[in-house]
Amino acid sequence: MKNFLNSFAGFLPLGILWLSPLAAGLVAVLYGALDEAAWLALFGHPQLWPGLALSMGTGTLSLIISALLAFWIVAGLYGGKLWPGTSGLMGGFLSLPHLAFAIGLGFLITPSGLLARVIGSVAAWAAPPQWVTTQDPYGFSLVTVLVLKEVPFLIWLISAHLARPEVAQMLNGHFRVSQSLGHGGASVWLRVFIPQILPRLKWPLLIVWFYGASVVDVALAIGPTQPPPLAVIIWSDLNNADPAVNARGTAGALFLTAALGCLVLLFMFLKRATLPSIWRFFTRGPSRRRTPRITSGALLLFFCAVYALVFAILCVMSIGTLWPYPDLFPSELRFSAWAQFLMSPAPLLNSLSLAVVSTLAALALAVFWLETVPEKLDAVLLACGIAALALPSLLIADGQYLAFLRLGLNGTWLGVFLAHLTPVFAYVFIVLKGPYRAFDPRYRAVALGLNADNYRFWSVVKLAMMKPALAAAAAVGIGVSIAQYVPTQLIASGRLTTLPIEAVTLASGGSRPLMAVFALMLAVIPAFAFIIASRLGRKPL
Amino acid sequence: MTLLLENISLTIGDVLLVKSFTISIEAGEIVTLMGPSGCGKSSLLAYIAGDLSPPMYGNGHVTLDGVDLVYLPAEQRHVGRLFQDDLLFPHLTVGENLLFGVPRGSLSKRQHLVSEALASAQLEGFEDRDPGTLSSGQRARVALFRALMAKPKAMLLDEPFSKLDAELRHSVRNYVFAHLRERQIPTLLVTHDREDAPAGGRVFRISNKGDMILA
Repeated sequence: MKNFLNSFAGFLPLGILWLSPLAAGLVAVLYGALDEAAWLALFGHPQLWPGLALSMGTGTLSLIISALLAFWIVAGLYGGKLWPGTSGLMGGFLSLPHLAFAIGLGFLITPSGLLARVIGSVAAWAAPPQWVTTQDPYGFSLVTVLVLKEVPFLIWLISAHLARPEVAQMLNGHFRVSQSLGHGGASVWLRVFIPQILPRLKWPLLIVWFYGASVVDVALAIGPTQPPPLAVIIWSDLNNADPAVNARGTAGALFLTAALGCLVLLFMFLKRATLPSIWRFFTRGPSRRRTPRITSGALLLFFCAVYALVFAILCVMSIGTLWPYPDLFPSELRFSAWAQFLMSPAPLLNSLSLAVVSTLAALALAVFWLETVPEKLDAVLLACGIAALALPSLLIADGQYLAFLRLGLNGTWLGVFLAHLTPVFAYVFIVLKGPYRAFDPRYRAVALGLNADNYRFWSVVKLAMMKPALAAAAAVGIGVSIAQYVPTQLIASGRLTTLPIEAVTLASGGSRPLMAVFALMLAVIPAFAFIIASRLGRKPL
Repeated sequence: MTLLLENISLTIGDVLLVKSFTISIEAGEIVTLMGPSGCGKSSLLAYIAGDLSPPMYGNGHVTLDGVDLVYLPAEQRHVGRLFQDDLLFPHLTVGENLLFGVPRGSLSKRQHLVSEALASAQLEGFEDRDPGTLSSGQRARVALFRALMAKPKAMLLDEPFSKLDAELRHSVRNYVFAHLRERQIPTLLVTHDREDAPAGGRVFRISNKGDMILA
């Protein structure tokens, strides 16, 4: 009974602040979809099927290319001189939000962008080229942004897995034994390593897949427009003033989620069907093909160059108040956009307060859960967390909007905070869970033996030892909160503005320097959090 | 087939672990190398196999069947290895583990080789078993046959019996030695247990100064 009470106590704050908003959102969206007219309107929408094809296509293509590139880079670099630095580098790239990246890359590749100007100055072009890059009808630029952003995420995850001592030791043994059986490095990766690593990446890959197929802010900045991806169609419905159109959006969000479910079923069917040939490939016999060290190094260099370029472009763009085509450099440099940004600091302050408070709340909830609830229940919470991250944020945010409508929470800071907490807590818990549960309980016995009481042990010993993990989780939480566009826009209902909201508005045709300032701020805050976290992680208390 | 080691030296930093070791291991001969952990005996095997990693460095010639192995990548040396752990691939079945090293060719022929191997390992019909369900003695036999089926021209045994319990150890040891002798494979065994050395075989011990002393 005492155990049960303890568990219940651990569950209570989480239930109020995280689980019930999530559940209420899901219930509300299902309830809101009980509207026949909305479904009829949805299926009568002329852009439904092309939009769906675009969403599924860009999401799936970006997942496949990202996974291939990530494994290509890891296979070539693992165990080499560049490998130890790669993981930290990827963590840094990771902190740049998708939207900021899309804005920077957009200016690199648009017809009047920097790339065209450089080629034009060499080839003496008179006018901007006729190429269609950003907002191309097939969504290739959208896929490009997604790939460039997801590859560092996947490499970071793979490197975290490979860094575990027991994994590293086993794979090292497998590598040696495979070599002695005649397999070259590439063959070992394809036949031994990837089949063992891939199952561990199942959920992150699903999250990446669904994210790519339902992303709104990046698609608004760089995705196709005629027709747009389904997520954008739903998004404009949800933001319409007409409740009937809103209802069509709700039905659309459910439809998109169901379509993603079907896509997963299709994948599982394909996997089943191709399993025998995959297995034949595993056991076809030794191949001497070696790992692609040079191309992997070149790819890594390419990623570094793109990220550096995007960052540099955003910096120059933010002060380049006069930068006509075909100039390679602005003809006038002024800090007027920065001044304008600082004159109306509401978006920055709102973003910061939401990020800091939701991260602190998420940390407190996670620690409270981990301290009071037995480990065997972690799996349940983890499943909820994965659902909160994998389900399209359109769906959850729309549901929360509908639920918060009855509670009067829309348009309030508290409502937006709860909406942010949904993904922030999920990430914080996933990051914190492993290190926290791995804490050796003997330290407690030692501390109590040294006349420390429970509280003193917890505050002086345990939290201090958990500091690197807490700092990493906090950095992730801040990054996740800062990047939230969909839930913020819906729940804030125009009464609260944040960095991504301003950035998206400016990206659809506003002052270019100001847009760059917002994109930079979106990038700088998570990067700052990440740097502080890695500093804290290194230094003992 | 003869495995010839000539003037092999191993260093870590400025420390010389093995000094100018020369030996010829004849077909079917099993030579034992003894010494405490950290003396460089496993690194010597890694040097022969071709995967010695920094900060350890080696030099000297390794000749197998008249071919100098030193400039060949590990996967082209045809040197089989058994380790402390059986290192069966957990994502493959027993049969697939055995197929892994069998040179390419028609699947039915290769599968026939696998069932033959399983029969001589007294593991008939184990093709589709998950290696995780096998006993440690069975796993040791599968690991041996996986190595043998890649048709190695020499074998390196890196304390492969040390994790088996005393009873099993004796039988697995004799079993492995018998198969290696039958196939006339020159073998170098590394161990810190005198018991592991085959009766009548040559036994070397690495001294503190890196000399190989015939025990």
